Amino acid sequence: MRIRRFMLAGVIAGVTVLIVAAPASAQDPGVKFGEHLLHCVEDAIHDNEAAIEDEDYTGFRNALEDCEKAPSIISPATPELIWGSVAFLIVAVVLIKFAFPALRKSLADRQEKIRGDLEGAERARQEAEAEKTRYEASLGDARAEANRIVEEAREAAEQVRRDLVTRAETDAAEIRSRAQQDAQLAAERAMSDLQQRVGEISIELAERIVERNLDKDTQMALVESYISSVGSGSAKS
Amino acid sequence: MILAELLPSLNELFSWPDMFNEHTALAFNKTALMAFVSTIICLLIFGLGSRKRALVPAGLQNVAEMGYEVIEENVSLQTVGAEHAKTWTPFFATLFFWIFFINIWSIIPFIQFPATSRLAIPLMLALISWVLFIAVGFKYQGKGYIWKAINPSGVPFALKFLVVPIEFFSKFLMRPFSLTIRLFANMTAGHVLLAIFAIMVNELLIVRNSGWYQAVFSPLPFVGLVAFTAFEVLVSVLQAYIFTILTAVYIAESMHEEH
Repeated sequence: MRIRRFMLAGVIAGVTVLIVAAPASAQDPGVKFGEHLLHCVEDAIHDNEAAIEDEDYTGFRNALEDCEKAPSIISPATPELIWGSVAFLIVAVVLIKFAFPALRKSLADRQEKIRGDLEGAERARQEAEAEKTRYEASLGDARAEANRIVEEAREAAEQVRRDLVTRAETDAAEIRSRAQQDAQLAAERAMSDLQQRVGEISIELAERIVERNLDKDTQMALVESYISSVGSGSAKS
Repeated sequence: MILAELLPSLNELFSWPDMFNEHTALAFNKTALMAFVSTIICLLIFGLGSRKRALVPAGLQNVAEMGYEVIEENVSLQTVGAEHAKTWTPFFATLFFWIFFINIWSIIPFIQFPATSRLAIPLMLALISWVLFIAVGFKYQGKGYIWKAINPSGVPFALKFLVVPIEFFSKFLMRPFSLTIRLFANMTAGHVLLAIFAIMVNELLIVRNSGWYQAVFSPLPFVGLVAFTAFEVLVSVLQAYIFTILTAVYIAESMHEEH
């Protein structure tokens, strides 16, 4: 694997060397300059043909001297200036007039669409935000309503409880009062019965006292007997 | 000494035989050919790139749009501003990409010749830039543009005798000259450098078989050649950018009065 990589690198390096070095050895510089000189002399003869026939060699001599001078690389060559201008003019006119406006339109359209989309998204966001606020507000209202209902229910229940307690207390008071009245009546009846009995016994006792002449001890025994009879009589009643 | 023998005269690196219209004012040589091929490449990229109008750009459309936007953001908006960017970006983009494609031929195998290393091309571009910024100056500042441009306000009267000629010289005479020479000299130097390294590689690896030192030293110029080829890519982009942004700066300056 490694060897293959090295071989591949070697092949690439070799090809690169050949490619980059090829123009340097494309043509022998001497031969090239000779060709240039030949063309130049031919041109000099051709341009000065008439003068040479008139035996005026000044122009021809100057032209030959120019041929020996290498053309300076810092003097702009007229043909290159002309062709360069034409090439630039073509590219400038076509691109500025046709290609770039189309390109700019495409960019502007896209920008417009993105702006529209963003604005739409922003609008939707704001709408959602408003909807959320509304929903939260209604949720708050509902919660308050629920609280109110619960509170009312609690109050109603409390009222019911209070009513029941009041009624129970009233009922209890009535029952107690009735019981007291009953007890009172029973006591009054008992007292009346007692009074009646005491009266009867007193009459009876008086009859007995009158029947016998009583000494002190007998009186005492009589009283005690009376009391015990009253006690047993009240116990009976 | 060996190198001096090997190297051809500079003209051998820059003069090309005419292809047609030989020895006339319309002689067509490699420089003209490269200029036209660059034109065709620009037309293809931006022509085809602007034909498709997909919402999500891809391929050539993407390249064309990115190229246009790069120039708009980095050149137009920085110089002439948003107000004039729409008007001037197409020209700046054309200038940048045409110069770039002409420059980049310096590293394209079998061509290896930047047409901008011939003085005619940078000179022609500099003259266009020169004419444009002067025309813009007259358009925006009226007839008094030249005087306003060379007579900055706030300069004491006595100094004006010095400042006015300097301003005139630097703004109206030196600008086309400096634009031309900067582009021409950079591309020429790069071309010569690549040619020197290429000749050294050729001589050491292919032509001469001189024994042990060849094995030791021959990789060095090759490494240099590769490195300078990469460097030449950077130079091609940079010089195109510099030429374009300077033109943009000159035009932007002509739009406003000096303060």
